[in-house]
Amino acid sequence: MKRIEVKLALPVVAPLLDVIRELADGLRKNLAAPLALADLDAEFHDAWVSELITSQSEDVQRLLALFNDEFFTEGVVAFDEENAECIVRACAAIRLRLREHYLKKVGDETLETGEVDMATLEEPLRRAFMCYLFLATVQELIIQHLDASILDS
Amino acid sequence: MPDDRTHTSPETQAVTELRMEGVWRVVVLNDPVNLMSYVVLVFKKVLGFDEQTARTHMLEVHEQGRSVVWSGLREKAEAYVFTLQQWHLTAVLEPDEAH
Repeated sequence: MKRIEVKLALPVVAPLLDVIRELADGLRKNLAAPLALADLDAEFHDAWVSELITSQSEDVQRLLALFNDEFFTEGVVAFDEENAECIVRACAAIRLRLREHYLKKVGDETLETGEVDMATLEEPLRRAFMCYLFLATVQELIIQHLDASILDS
Repeated sequence: MPDDRTHTSPETQAVTELRMEGVWRVVVLNDPVNLMSYVVLVFKKVLGFDEQTARTHMLEVHEQGRSVVWSGLREKAEAYVFTLQQWHLTAVLEPDEAH
């Protein structure tokens, strides 16, 4: 099984986990991206949303499970064929939620490029943007190294 | 994907069946959050696109704000929208007026 281990800087990443956990709570009840199908009948719509939220919550729990005791002692997280798909989706969900909750004032162009002078941002915006970039890096790592595993699963 | 639709009256049923007929388009809309590489991955995974096709559609979404990624029967189109939503892309259904 292909597996990649990533050593993270604990003092940098640990504070971001509070942001991720806070947003994870909201993702137990709300979709990260709004469902844009107005003409579904109500019962069908509700069933869809319920199923999507369940799937989304499971993905986010897999992401949170990365930051276990081993992470807090060694600073290491591991991605493999088993968790890559869930985690890459969970990162997308949290990043969308970050935009809704913290990053609207940053502007869409900045969100697309990821380029901003961190020194100009104040808390809690600064930490939220760091979290946004951190999760993008996780996604890029997974896509770069485990793309084939996700496509074959 | 759930398929347990209920119809309460013949009138509702007729409207629903009419709505279900014809050709429908699955349209993916741009968002400023999802990475280009992620959107390419999702198109390959969900729609079975090869790398070049996935990149072409991703760029169309990025530059024009939307891309029609599939067209066909409503039920299958709904299934694609559901799965794209599961991957956190915003997708909508549109009737294909040409058919």
